Amino acid sequence: MSFIIPPDFSDDEVVPEFHAGATSRTWYHYVLIAASLVFAAVSVGFVGTILWNSLPEWSHHPGTLLAGSGWQAPLGPFGGLAMIVGTLETSAIALGVAVIIGLGTSISIVFLVPRRLRNVIATLVDLLAAVPSIVYGLWGFLVLAPWMLQTVDPFLNRLPFARVIFGNPSQEFGTSLLLAAVVLSVMILPTFVAISREVISVVPQDLIEASLSLGATRWQVIREVVLPTAKIGLFGATFLALARATGETVAVALVAGGVANTQFHLLYPGTTIASWIATQFGEAQGNAVSALMALGVLLMIVNFSLSLMSRWLVVRQRKVLAVV
Amino acid sequence: MSDITELDTPAEVGHQMREEIRQISVRVRARRQLRSRIMVTLCAVALAITAVPLVLLMYQLFRRGLPVVLHAGFFTQLPQTPSLIAPNATGGVSNAILGSLVLTVYAAIMAIPVGVLAGVYLAESDSKLAAVLRVVAQTMAGAPSILMGLFAFAFVVRALHVGFSAIAGSFALAVLMLPVIVISSEIAVRGVPSTLREAGLALGAKPHMVSLKIVLPAAVTGIVTGIILAISRAIGETAPVLLVIGGGYINSWKPLNPVSALPLLIFEDAKSEWPSLRTEVWGIALVLVAFVFVLSLSARIWASRKQQAR
Repeated sequence: MSFIIPPDFSDDEVVPEFHAGATSRTWYHYVLIAASLVFAAVSVGFVGTILWNSLPEWSHHPGTLLAGSGWQAPLGPFGGLAMIVGTLETSAIALGVAVIIGLGTSISIVFLVPRRLRNVIATLVDLLAAVPSIVYGLWGFLVLAPWMLQTVDPFLNRLPFARVIFGNPSQEFGTSLLLAAVVLSVMILPTFVAISREVISVVPQDLIEASLSLGATRWQVIREVVLPTAKIGLFGATFLALARATGETVAVALVAGGVANTQFHLLYPGTTIASWIATQFGEAQGNAVSALMALGVLLMIVNFSLSLMSRWLVVRQRKVLAVV
Repeated sequence: MSDITELDTPAEVGHQMREEIRQISVRVRARRQLRSRIMVTLCAVALAITAVPLVLLMYQLFRRGLPVVLHAGFFTQLPQTPSLIAPNATGGVSNAILGSLVLTVYAAIMAIPVGVLAGVYLAESDSKLAAVLRVVAQTMAGAPSILMGLFAFAFVVRALHVGFSAIAGSFALAVLMLPVIVISSEIAVRGVPSTLREAGLALGAKPHMVSLKIVLPAAVTGIVTGIILAISRAIGETAPVLLVIGGGYINSWKPLNPVSALPLLIFEDAKSEWPSLRTEVWGIALVLVAFVFVLSLSARIWASRKQQAR
C-alpha cells in the first residue's frame, strides 16, 4: 500500500458507524463533521484566495501573461512566456531521463536484487524521496554547477549543431536550464521509483510463472507480461513525477539562473513558474504581486490536473489487478 | 528444403525436419537469451545510474557538513555577518533552529486536531462530503508548496494584517501538513479490523464510544506515523515559509515576530559571496537531512514494530 497514492475507498463497504440512525447524532459526530468542514474551508480558501488575488492581472492582461515576453517589475507588462516555456523544457527533459532510468531501476529492484536487499533499497528510496528539495538545490548549485561550467558545457558545445540547441555557455556560475533539468531528474527519480516499484511488484506471480513455464526469457517476461500489466499504473507514476517536476521551487530557483529570457537555449540561464514566484516575490508590489498570483493559478491548474489524472490511473490499475 | 523430396522413407524425412527445426530453435533461443541478458544488464545499469548521484550527494553532505556542525557554537550562537576584517565570522544558526522548531510546533498544533478528526470522518462516513473531501485531500497533498506560501501571504499577512511573522509561516506549513494527516488518518482507521468494531457494537456500546474507545486506540500507530511524516516534510520546506516569515536575526518564539528557518538560511546563504557562508550551508543542510531521516526512520521502525506485536 503506497502512501503517496493511497487506495481508493469509494467502493468499500461502509463501516457501521454512522448507520445506526438517530443514535449516531451525538456530539462526537458533530465534532468530526466540524473538523471536516474546517478542512473543506481551508481547501476552498486556498484556491479562492489565490484566484481572487490574481484577478486584477487576469482581467487586464491575460494575453501578456500567457504569451508575452519581458517582466518589467514594478508596473508591467508581465510576460509569462519565459517561465511557461522554461517549466515545460526543464520538466520534459527531467521526466524523460527519470522515466527511462527509473523504470530500469524499478525492474532491477523487483526482479534482480535479492529478496533481503529489496526492503533495504526500498527504504533507502523512500528516504531519498524525503530529502528536502533545498538540499538537492544546494548540491546542484555548489557542486554540479562548477562541474558543468568546467567540464560538461565545453564538451556539449563541441558537438555538431550545439549552438542551435544549447546556445553559448557564457555564464559565470554555470547555472542554466540544462542544470535545472539535471537536478530535477535526480529529485523526481526517487518519487517515480517509489511508485513504479510498487506498481511492478504487485503484478501477479501467476502471470510471471505461466510465462516462464512457456519458455520465455527474463526480458520477455518483463516486456510481454509485466510492463503491459502494469502499464496504467506506470502512466500514473509518470504523471505524478511530472506534477512534482513542474511544482519544484527552491532547488530550481538556485540552479536555473533566475533570468526571464526567451532564448530557451539549454545552456542559458532561465526560470520556471514556481521558481520565478519564489525569487520575485520579495520585491514585488502592487500589480507584480497580482501577476505572480496569476502565475500561481497557472501552476495550480497544471498540478491539480496532473494529480487527478495520476490518481485515477493508479486506482484503475489496482482495480485491473484485483480482477486478474 | 528441396532436398527433402529426394529422400526415400517418411521416417528419414521426419528426422531431417526435426533436425532443422532443432537447429533453428537453438539459434532463436540463443538470440533471445542474448537479448534478455543485454536488456537485464541495462536495467542493472539504470539502478547504478540512479544510485550514483544520490550516493555522491550524501557523501558530499557528510564530508563538507560534518566539520561545520562540529564547530563550536554552531547550535548555540547567533549568526554574524562576515566582513573584510573577519571574513570567517559566521557564528551559529541558533535563530534558524529555534525558528524551524517554532514554525513546526505552531503548524502541528493547528493541523493535527483538524487533520486527524477529518480523517476519522472520512473513514467512518459515506456521505457525499466525505467522497469529495477524499479527492480534495489527495489533490492538496500534491500541490506545489510555493502555493501554500502565496495563500499564507494573501490571507494571513495581508488580509488579516498580521505582517511577516512566525504564525504566517506556521499557517502555510499547517496547510501543507493538513491533507497528509487527513489521508494517513483515514488509512489508519480503515485498517482497524471490522471484527473489533463489531465486537464493541455487539456488547452494546454506542457507535461513537466504539469509535473513540476501540477504533482510535487501535489506529493510533498509523495516525502518529502519518503525523511524523507530515512534520518531517514540513520542516524541510523552503518555499512556503520563504514568502511570509520575514527572516529574523534574533532568537524568538513569539508567534507575531519574524523568524528564520533552516531551509530559508540555506537558500539565502548559498548564493553569498563569502566562502565561509557557503561552507556553513553544508552544515545546515546536514542538520536538516538528519532531522528528516531520524523522523521518518523512527516512524517507520515504530510502525513495523507495532505491526509485528499485533
